[in-house]
Amino acid sequence: MAASALYKAPDVAGYGDVPYEEKARLFDLVKADLRYPDYLYGCYECGICVAVCPSARFYDFSPRRVAQAAAREDVELIYQQMQEDIWECSQCFSCLRCPRGNNPGGIITIMREVAVNNGLASAREALEGYSRIIYKIMSTGTQVSPDMLQPDAFPDWGPEVKDVSDNLDLWRRALPPETLHTTRTGWDVAPRTLVELYLIWFETGALDMIKGVDEGLHMILEEVMEERLEEEGVER
Amino acid sequence: MQQGGEMQQGAASPGERVVVIGGGPAGLEAAWGVARLGCPVTLVEWAAFLGGTPVAENYAALTPNFEDAEAAMQRMIDRVSPHPLVDIRLRSQVTAFDEREGGGFTVTLSSAGDGSGTSTLDAGAVVVATGFQHFDPGRETQMYGYYEYPDVVALQDLEAMLKDHNVVRPSNGEPPERICFVQCVGSRDRQIGNEYCSKVCCGVASKEAIEVRQQLPGCKVFIFYIDMRMYGYWESQIYWPAQEQYHVQYIKGIITEVLPKDGKLLVRGEDTTMGRPMEVPMDMVVLSVGMEPSLGTRLTAQTLGLRQNKYGFIDAAYPPLDTVSTSRPGVFACGAALGPSDLEDSISSAGAAAMRAVVHVRDRSSVTAAG
Repeated sequence: MAASALYKAPDVAGYGDVPYEEKARLFDLVKADLRYPDYLYGCYECGICVAVCPSARFYDFSPRRVAQAAAREDVELIYQQMQEDIWECSQCFSCLRCPRGNNPGGIITIMREVAVNNGLASAREALEGYSRIIYKIMSTGTQVSPDMLQPDAFPDWGPEVKDVSDNLDLWRRALPPETLHTTRTGWDVAPRTLVELYLIWFETGALDMIKGVDEGLHMILEEVMEERLEEEGVER
Repeated sequence: MQQGGEMQQGAASPGERVVVIGGGPAGLEAAWGVARLGCPVTLVEWAAFLGGTPVAENYAALTPNFEDAEAAMQRMIDRVSPHPLVDIRLRSQVTAFDEREGGGFTVTLSSAGDGSGTSTLDAGAVVVATGFQHFDPGRETQMYGYYEYPDVVALQDLEAMLKDHNVVRPSNGEPPERICFVQCVGSRDRQIGNEYCSKVCCGVASKEAIEVRQQLPGCKVFIFYIDMRMYGYWESQIYWPAQEQYHVQYIKGIITEVLPKDGKLLVRGEDTTMGRPMEVPMDMVVLSVGMEPSLGTRLTAQTLGLRQNKYGFIDAAYPPLDTVSTSRPGVFACGAALGPSDLEDSISSAGAAAMRAVVHVRDRSSVTAAG
């Protein structure tokens, strides 16, 4: 039985085929993150984070359980959460109102990064639908522009996409965004910005993160970036 | 001016002394307070030493500030012992209590220590500070096996180990790798008849948990609780540091049973916030026993004819704004004789009782003088 297993059946959290040592290694990576001590103090298990959590209304998801599992150093449960729960968080950080000053959403950010960096199946699965978005952000540094959200092209984004795209002009007058990107301007980024951006992706390892979850996308991005840097005469 | 001489004049009529029963923290504070207000005081203590339960039960450090318990009690003893208005009677108990004609009391003492046998004292007022005793875990209605398994201990047993810096499993002398505390043993339990919260056990268990982590950094410490009750500053003084600095694990759910298994103790309960049953192996189980009225409190209440509540503690007659008057005018109570109480409240009520006792004596003196 695993040393930290608190529960009746050692595999109560599932993933019995994954060695305990591997689960412990991943949790150690989470705990080693510089932000971790500021994100987790102690948990009252009061549930205020669940009460304010929009995801908790729609999924079997509880930021409390995430904070609790981390506080209890429950290696098995944390692994289960890295494979399941953390992808149900919308990263809105409503949970920051924790009376103890915890940041369950932040713990999830770290857990996600560890999951992505280590190519966990859940990370691959969760990011599958976002290949285009990742491609857009990493290759141009700008988000998908709202008028790209054509309902036919984004059926997985739900019925609101149609409403937004039909009435985009009205929406923008009601809630003016900082940039008024459209498909006409959304791809138009200064070469100097791209060079800086690509260097950042390379140097910080952000590009490497993609490799574990979407190898094809990683190849395309790497090629685009290397080509551009070569064109601009930038050495890495 | 040392002892407030002019105040003393008002209480100068002979015999107008205050008798304080009980030489623990509350009694020591009350006796010192009475003396400093200029009244003669006799401090009656059943045991052969002063200091009360913190000394008798080998407390390691006081809650919440971790001061060495014996040293802290010695400081109180050293303050009161040399005072010229203080008369200390060890190994003594009050065996009879009579109202005097014209007011005041005759207190009969039976002393075992100095061979003086029985003696009587005239008292203008009495302060009862006879305290509590730890709940006997043999009376619990779950199955914790305090008298069955050597590695099941109570809060005060662990205190003694902590005091000696020798926290080991009684069964084999090895330092434990996993310890858990079980809260509310003998408290908040209709089955047992103690429906009250004993107030201090959450803080004391958390304090001991911190001490265990300090002395045995490799030992995992768990606290199983119904709800943690560390009101006021205890929150940030004990609870948060226990969790955040010492990584004590608080798990909401009360242990229903302790079972021996493979040389360890298996504790069984529900992890309520995780919503699942648990069975966890432990090397030691510490029962957070609550407070019950001490034998001294029960006997003194009977001898002095004081109304007790259904649990045997002495009733404060006029709560909430008068916390120390008993059902008998001229007799005041303080500390854990009145019910579960932490040290801070015990010392506060002892001060209030001392003040009320001296006022009672002075009021009587002035009436007598006028009459």
